[in-house]
Amino acid sequence: MKNRSLSFWLFMTPTLVALGLVVFVPFIYGFVYSFTDWNGLQANSFLGFENYIRLFQEEHFLNAIWFTIKFAVVSIVLVNVIGLGLALLVTQKLKTSNLFRTVFFMPNLIGGLILGFIWQFIFVSAFNSAGQLLGLEFLQGWLSDATTGFWGLVILNAWQYGGYIMIIYIAYLEAVPQELMEASEIDGANPFQRFWKVTFPLVAPAFTISMFLTLSNAFKMYDQNLALTGGGPFKSTEMIAMDIYNTAFSDYDMAFAQAKAVIFFILVAAVALTQVYYNKKREVDL
Amino acid sequence: MKRNKLFLTKGFIAIMLVAVLIIAGCSSGDENEESADGKTVVDIFQFKVEFKEQFEEIVKQYEEENPDVKIDVQTVGGGNDYAASLKSSFAAGNEPAIFNVGGPTEVEEYRDYLTDLSDTKAAEAALEGTLTGVMEDDKVLGLPYSQEGYGYIYNKEIFEQAGINPEELTTYEALEEAFATIDSQKEDLGLEAVMALPAKELWVMGNHLANTYIAPDFNNDIMEAYEASTIPFSKADELQRMLDLQNEYSVQPVLSLDYSQQVEQLFSTGKVAVIQQGNWIYPTVEQMDAEFAENNIGMIPIPVDGMEGQLPVGVPQYWVVNSQKGEEVQQAAKDFLDWLYTSDAGKDFVLDEFKFIPAYEGYDTERIADPLSQEVYRYSQEGDTIGWVFMASPVGWQEDTMAVNMQRYLSGDISWEEVIEQSAADWENARQ
Repeated sequence: MKNRSLSFWLFMTPTLVALGLVVFVPFIYGFVYSFTDWNGLQANSFLGFENYIRLFQEEHFLNAIWFTIKFAVVSIVLVNVIGLGLALLVTQKLKTSNLFRTVFFMPNLIGGLILGFIWQFIFVSAFNSAGQLLGLEFLQGWLSDATTGFWGLVILNAWQYGGYIMIIYIAYLEAVPQELMEASEIDGANPFQRFWKVTFPLVAPAFTISMFLTLSNAFKMYDQNLALTGGGPFKSTEMIAMDIYNTAFSDYDMAFAQAKAVIFFILVAAVALTQVYYNKKREVDL
Repeated sequence: MKRNKLFLTKGFIAIMLVAVLIIAGCSSGDENEESADGKTVVDIFQFKVEFKEQFEEIVKQYEEENPDVKIDVQTVGGGNDYAASLKSSFAAGNEPAIFNVGGPTEVEEYRDYLTDLSDTKAAEAALEGTLTGVMEDDKVLGLPYSQEGYGYIYNKEIFEQAGINPEELTTYEALEEAFATIDSQKEDLGLEAVMALPAKELWVMGNHLANTYIAPDFNNDIMEAYEASTIPFSKADELQRMLDLQNEYSVQPVLSLDYSQQVEQLFSTGKVAVIQQGNWIYPTVEQMDAEFAENNIGMIPIPVDGMEGQLPVGVPQYWVVNSQKGEEVQQAAKDFLDWLYTSDAGKDFVLDEFKFIPAYEGYDTERIADPLSQEVYRYSQEGDTIGWVFMASPVGWQEDTMAVNMQRYLSGDISWEEVIEQSAADWENARQ
């Protein structure tokens, strides 16, 4: 350790300085501002916990939190199931598996805003026409109420991140030792047992990573939300990030928004740390 | 090892030096009010995306005529995006010399930064009523961009085929009857529906539709609305009636219908006969179908009992000059705005290139570019107008409260009584 100390810190300092300047200092500033009546131009008085008390009384914000949590739970399950499913599919010995990998990964390369607008067109226009042609009632009027707005966001998110999470699962699936698979085969395990008893425990670290990524991503989602539903109708599909932005920039209530952001930070950190802690416990070593 | 360490230390110092220089470089610079060659720099931060290019062109012309002034223009999209970006610029200490405010609510927000403009020629030439929203005692704190108006924009050809005279649609009953007539001939006229209500757009319902029925509560006076601690909603029933009518005859589902579908996909292509919009849609319709835009569209007022034939006309945004800038910059900013609205070259641009409805005297109004603007100007000239009071409602009220409640009403979530009660209560809370 002693040997490494100087060069270690030499290399670390630039990163730490940069991180400090763009992350920690603004964070502390923001934290301080959340106790004032800052409106973006000036802060006149120190309010103590008033902003924090107020935000737990605000229906919008509580709705946004609840909506985000529902969205996160459904997304995590769906994205991981799709990601693992796709990964299993493209690690089979198929001629087209490389092509599939590219195709499934592609949606992730499209920016969230454009993606939102594309899916808006699909949900509103394409679904509508298809619904009329086939006489299917449920295809019509998408994004015009809270339920279809919710599922619209879920589908969009699964479509975008399924392929990305697939890549992570592929890496771990390919690292599963062939000897173990062969051994279990000789022992008479059927394909399902082999997956469940051998592969699944060995890809547990991939679950830790994928769940963390999908979780933090679902909580922080803003651009897809903005482009697809804009939080509408009547703010029923507004997620926390968007609620914070609107509080800050359309209501000019910067300090209040900052207080919401602090609560948001604590919430995401708590959920993510708990998730990583429990997932870590489940991982097995070879 | 020693050599290595020395090398590392040197490298480290070099990196830190560069970092310090970059940081230092960022923090200075914006205090400069004079550019390197001694010119006065005027930063403009403005919101009208539609005329960005034309505006930059006129700025270039001004710079040629006034070689000692340099003008930097930054344009950020309309509505909320502009307000948000302006706020971030201020918070970051990057304050423009000229920027835009929407009305009394924003005037209060930026009060410490607003210069008195009453000594400008433009302020003198401003048409009566266009300055009310930015007056404080005798001070004029902003200069109007232009005038805008909104109402029902209709497709002349379809109205003719259906045998309807738009001039007669001055009452709710007449309008309802006309909609029913068109609806019965929908197939023959090739229409998808009579109208398109873009209920997804909070501003169309919360700002414009609601304003028509709220303005009478405040005698059409923007300042009266600004000072009101309560909102009476005396025309709440009429507002409900009109919203229901629009909803009933609109392409469904209204809650996912947006502005571009309304104007581009439905109205410009003749799939609906009427839309509630303003003269600002003209350039868009013209791009879609120039012939249709020029000859086949007209505007009529939204019927309000007791105020028949009156069109809501107002000022969309005001130019203001930053009082925290140096004397020289302030003067240069005022000179530019004066030149823009009162010089011959400026006037030509305002009419022909910006296609504005002028908010100032001394313009050849025969030259107003398009039929919708001409219509708006006619109403404004004859004084048949309803005020734009929505710029004076509490921050965020018209969209986040009024329009959101209207959306909930349309989706069957709450009753109309609840819409009115909640909106009135929010207004009161905000004004306490």
